[in-house]
Amino acid sequence: MSERAVLELRGIVKRFPGILANDNVSFDLKQGEVHALLGENGAGKSTLMNVLYGLYHPDEGEIRIGGKPVQIGSPRAAIENGVGMVHQHFMLIPVMTVAENIVLATEPRSRGIFLDHAAAEKRVRELSERFGLAVGPRDLVQDITVGMQQRVEILKALYRGADILVLDEPTAVLTPQEAKELFGIIRTLTAQGKSIIFISHKLNEVLEIADRITVLRRGVRVETLAAEGATEEGLARLMVGREVLLRVDKRPAEPGEPLLQVEDLRVFDDRGIEKVRGVSFQVRAGEILGIAGVDGNGQTELIDALTGLRRSESGHVVVGGKEHRNPTPREMLDAGQGHIPQDRQRRGLVLDFTLAENIALHDYCYEPDSKLGWLYPGRLVTRAARLLKEFDVRGGGPQTRASSLSGGNQQKVIVAREVSRDPRVLIAAQPTRGLDVGACEFVHRRLVDERDEGRAILLVSLELDEILSLSDRILVIYEGELVAEFAPGVSEEEVGVAMTGGGRREAAA
Amino acid sequence: MSDVEPVGGPGREGDSEASESAARRLAVLQRAGGMVTPLITVVFAFLVGGLVVVATTGKNPLTTYKAIFDGSGLNWLLPWQTCADPCTAALNFQQTLIIWIPLALTGLAVAFAFRCGLFNIGGQGQYLVGAIVAVWVGSSFQGLTPVLHILLAIVAASVSGALYGGIAGLLKATVGAHEVITTIMLNWIAVWVGIFLFGLGGPLQNDPQPWVPVSNDIAEGAKLPVFWGDPILQGLHIGLFVAAGFLVVFWVMLNRTTLGYEVRAVGFNPEAARYGGISVSRNYFLAMAISGLFAGLAGSLDILGWQFRLNVNDIQISNVGFVGIAVALLGRNTAIGTGLAALLFAALTTGTSTRNLDPEIFRPELASNLTLLIQGLVVLFVGADVLILYLWGLRRKARLGRGAAA
Amino acid sequence: MSRAWEIFLARLPRGARAAAWVGVGIGILAAWLMTPPVMLRSPVVPVLVGAVAVALGGYAFTRGVRRLGAGAAVFGLLGAGLGVLTTQSGEANLEGVVVWSALFAAMLRYATPLIFASIGGMFSERSGVVNIGLEGMMLMGCFFAIWGADRTGSWLGGVAIAAVAGGLLALVHAYFAIHLRADQIVGGTAVNFLALGITGYLFIDIYKDTGTPSDVARIPDVHLSFLKDWYFVGPIVGQLNLLIWIGLVTILGSWIVMFKTPVGLRIRSVGEHPRAAETVGISVYKTRYAAVTLSGVLAALGGAYLSIGFVGSFNQNMTAGRGFIALAALIFGKWRPFGAAAAAILFGLSSALADRLPVYSESGAVLFRSLPYALTLIAVAGVIGRSIPPAAIGRPYVKQ
Repeated sequence: MSERAVLELRGIVKRFPGILANDNVSFDLKQGEVHALLGENGAGKSTLMNVLYGLYHPDEGEIRIGGKPVQIGSPRAAIENGVGMVHQHFMLIPVMTVAENIVLATEPRSRGIFLDHAAAEKRVRELSERFGLAVGPRDLVQDITVGMQQRVEILKALYRGADILVLDEPTAVLTPQEAKELFGIIRTLTAQGKSIIFISHKLNEVLEIADRITVLRRGVRVETLAAEGATEEGLARLMVGREVLLRVDKRPAEPGEPLLQVEDLRVFDDRGIEKVRGVSFQVRAGEILGIAGVDGNGQTELIDALTGLRRSESGHVVVGGKEHRNPTPREMLDAGQGHIPQDRQRRGLVLDFTLAENIALHDYCYEPDSKLGWLYPGRLVTRAARLLKEFDVRGGGPQTRASSLSGGNQQKVIVAREVSRDPRVLIAAQPTRGLDVGACEFVHRRLVDERDEGRAILLVSLELDEILSLSDRILVIYEGELVAEFAPGVSEEEVGVAMTGGGRREAAA
Repeated sequence: MSDVEPVGGPGREGDSEASESAARRLAVLQRAGGMVTPLITVVFAFLVGGLVVVATTGKNPLTTYKAIFDGSGLNWLLPWQTCADPCTAALNFQQTLIIWIPLALTGLAVAFAFRCGLFNIGGQGQYLVGAIVAVWVGSSFQGLTPVLHILLAIVAASVSGALYGGIAGLLKATVGAHEVITTIMLNWIAVWVGIFLFGLGGPLQNDPQPWVPVSNDIAEGAKLPVFWGDPILQGLHIGLFVAAGFLVVFWVMLNRTTLGYEVRAVGFNPEAARYGGISVSRNYFLAMAISGLFAGLAGSLDILGWQFRLNVNDIQISNVGFVGIAVALLGRNTAIGTGLAALLFAALTTGTSTRNLDPEIFRPELASNLTLLIQGLVVLFVGADVLILYLWGLRRKARLGRGAAA
Repeated sequence: MSRAWEIFLARLPRGARAAAWVGVGIGILAAWLMTPPVMLRSPVVPVLVGAVAVALGGYAFTRGVRRLGAGAAVFGLLGAGLGVLTTQSGEANLEGVVVWSALFAAMLRYATPLIFASIGGMFSERSGVVNIGLEGMMLMGCFFAIWGADRTGSWLGGVAIAAVAGGLLALVHAYFAIHLRADQIVGGTAVNFLALGITGYLFIDIYKDTGTPSDVARIPDVHLSFLKDWYFVGPIVGQLNLLIWIGLVTILGSWIVMFKTPVGLRIRSVGEHPRAAETVGISVYKTRYAAVTLSGVLAALGGAYLSIGFVGSFNQNMTAGRGFIALAALIFGKWRPFGAAAAAILFGLSSALADRLPVYSESGAVLFRSLPYALTLIAVAGVIGRSIPPAAIGRPYVKQ
């Protein structure tokens, strides 16, 4: 790593309606270094990088590459200046091959107008060998693993001659093992002279891979420091600005009898692939069962099947003593099951409905909301008013449309609705995704409270911290099977290993 | 505080918007613009129409529009309008209202389907089916008491319309067939079946005059009583009250019943509706069936109210179902909006008819095509909600807030 | 060349799928055997042959090939039914209706507007923009071809002006769909209204009393004199309109462009994942504008063929829903040029049949006119497989 700055961002300001996303942020990148950009959700990290990549135009400020000021007005300009970006959600086209994705827009041609597939594949192979990124050029992107897709993304940038690589939350979708491989790739790249910007909110990873760390908070650059000598607590404090409670305070659980029993559930996804392979477990009253796992190992399909949103091939679910095979969502709702869905805007709420209408989403067809098909909107409003007050939902009243609320308040509405139905079993999928710290704490607190009320809570989350801090028992799902069970005191590493399929143990039901 | 997109992983669209159904977009428009946006849309459309008039005929568009206005009978509503005897303005207004009846209903048909996120272009076919059934029931069962005969015809027609619409609904619900294409195909099938039935040698062709491709006349007892104007000269029939009543039914169904709640939920967000326990396919079917019911009813009211028979030619040139689409869109899929929009288009139709428009001012055949143009422009501009909202200075939060992700 | 053959062989279906396809073929055979020239007269034949098809379909069904298996069974039943029906009709009638060569020639003629429009639709939809307005664009082409040919005195002028008209209307649709992010189905419907209004208005304004001139310059036929006397093939291809040939060439051309050139790759990328395309520097807006405009031009060419290549005149709303049938053909063909063309040709066949069936019953003739629409309905209802459209279709793209 040399002392020369290959990239400088000076005084970048970027405004959106109502938000100052980047407030006079300055940042520099030395050649051959790995510089981490750290901050919470909403701190401005992605915005800054989108400015660098030409997807946003800064309102003020300057970008210098190799010492010279440049105008980056579009991704094409960024690419020309040697900047490559690997986005958090991959910019890959699922139905096309790896090679096609990599060469898109700079395709090699034969006889002038034809696409030279052979040349493309050859070039891809060359690059892949040079940088140690194993991919199959003819594979369809939709058929390869997430880790491999990420390698394709990196190759895409390298193919276009990137010397500066921006990796946006790259480990969010990787298993710990794949993350280790990624770090190895990063080291190879820097050894070959590439410079890397590593965006993350994961403290431990940042400490492991970065040379320097810049912390952003609410659009402002708080500090830039060397990774050596920095601590997790110190970084957390910089990120949030106060002492952060990394664990939720709770009483030990006193579990009762099982309220949710899953027997040998097998579920296929839309493409006919078996995603849940004979899963069995139970959740007892007064306990929180957490299921940890990397995205894509069957959690979504499992929850869909449990809530009736997807059919299961075989197996059944017992809720409140009654057996259910391939239920409809209505059936499970009536059986006393509540569901906080992982995508609150797509699934949990009808954004164009008022809060009152949303709260009635499950029970509109029962009294007192309606009778014999006739709806009583007034009653919806009264009930909603009561709940909104109880759950301290800000941003509007029963007649406000759900779309006007912030994410945190929207989630509160969903939690309010699910909890107020007095369910026996509460399934919470990614309940704090995209929420700020305050909303997170609220949801966590609430889940623990409901557990203490005697409900059985199934928590499925991609955030290991959340699982570890909330669960009374932890199961790990890997490739559709439950491969391990842990007690709360377990370390992240142990769970991480299980999440990658290593060290299988019997998953007790 | 803005939301972050879903955690990592292979590309869903980076924008991650809940899939925007047509219903949802129009909902935003409705909230933001209220009455104002439809007004702007209409003004715009007329402006462009006026430009066409100037460009092609060199005539003053304002005189043309005034002539159309007078011809429509809307001037009868103006308090300063004097009236000779017989009052032409009144006669014209009756005509406008007669046309308003089916337009309002076909508009409601499209609107109801739209509320469920479905685009029912099959109003024409469903209307025809209703008309065919009404004419058949009306001309059979001679000697039935009038009330019963009328009721029977109306109910049969409405049910038939509902079933016809339900076909498309069923296909959508079971195999996911796109309702735009299925309803258009059903339209044409209805047209050809109708022509077959009443054409020369067809099974339902009239008995007295075998060289005329027309149906039998409906019985005297099946005709709807006229309450304003001269029955001989085609006065306004009580179908008006039925149509107005169904405007209320529409509103009540959508806002005061659980069915309406479900329909609206599915229209806004089918995924959330499923999650909430609502059966999306059942609602697709019901919405299309109810939609067809409205259109079939329209067909029956026209037959029993003033047509009294169905001519092969009528079948071919009828376009009430299509205008209904413009009506619903302009009326923002609400009851009141549909009623008003239907009035506008009915007035346009009467005002540009050969009987009412002085060829010196503007040739009527051209004028009816002008009407089509204006309808098209209305639909076009309605779809461009961003344009209208931008003109009015409003911003759509949903769009512009997206970019603030960290 | 052998590589292409290899790929072709590798793509052929195997096992149960192959059985199902064979079943479909045998179902068709059941009906074909009863028609001239073979014209067997015993109703036992179609029943037996149809039964074989149903059996094959059933076999495939039990092996998990559900849709195709059901389709084969349906074809078997239909073929048997049709076959039995033909035994009920007189041989003379049959020979009048089912003159295969004339039928196929008519089939091509009816199919050509559909082919143009569906290929145009393919470009638009593959780039992510739903184009319901194909009907309107075709209609514009219809009218302006005659008007253009009338004005310029040459068919080439007519075709050129038609293409421009279709392109302009498409541009309107493109602007509303892309820049204004309007709902694309509503916009397409509006475009159809507009086309109806514009063509009707101008038609009456210019041609009202006399109708379009009967001697307007028409697109010439291509005479292949050396083929004309060949058995069976001669009457079909010996004298086909120029635009029919261009249509067939367009099918091949569009396949090459879409799958063998960078242009096609970019169009497809914009339709599947516009954000990804934008991040590698492709302009989503420009690509979509180009694709939609092209679709308008192609649809207009189809309309031009209809008015100055096939019929020779214009009347209001002449396209009568063909644009929508073309759209259905596109969906049926899974947004691929050969598939869409095959579907278009099938629909053309039904129109051609509908033309000749009146020999049986005058009033019934009218009913047969609904055949193409009914067929489209069945097709869209997904008798043979469900198609997956381009992933980002219909969703307006927001440039940052």
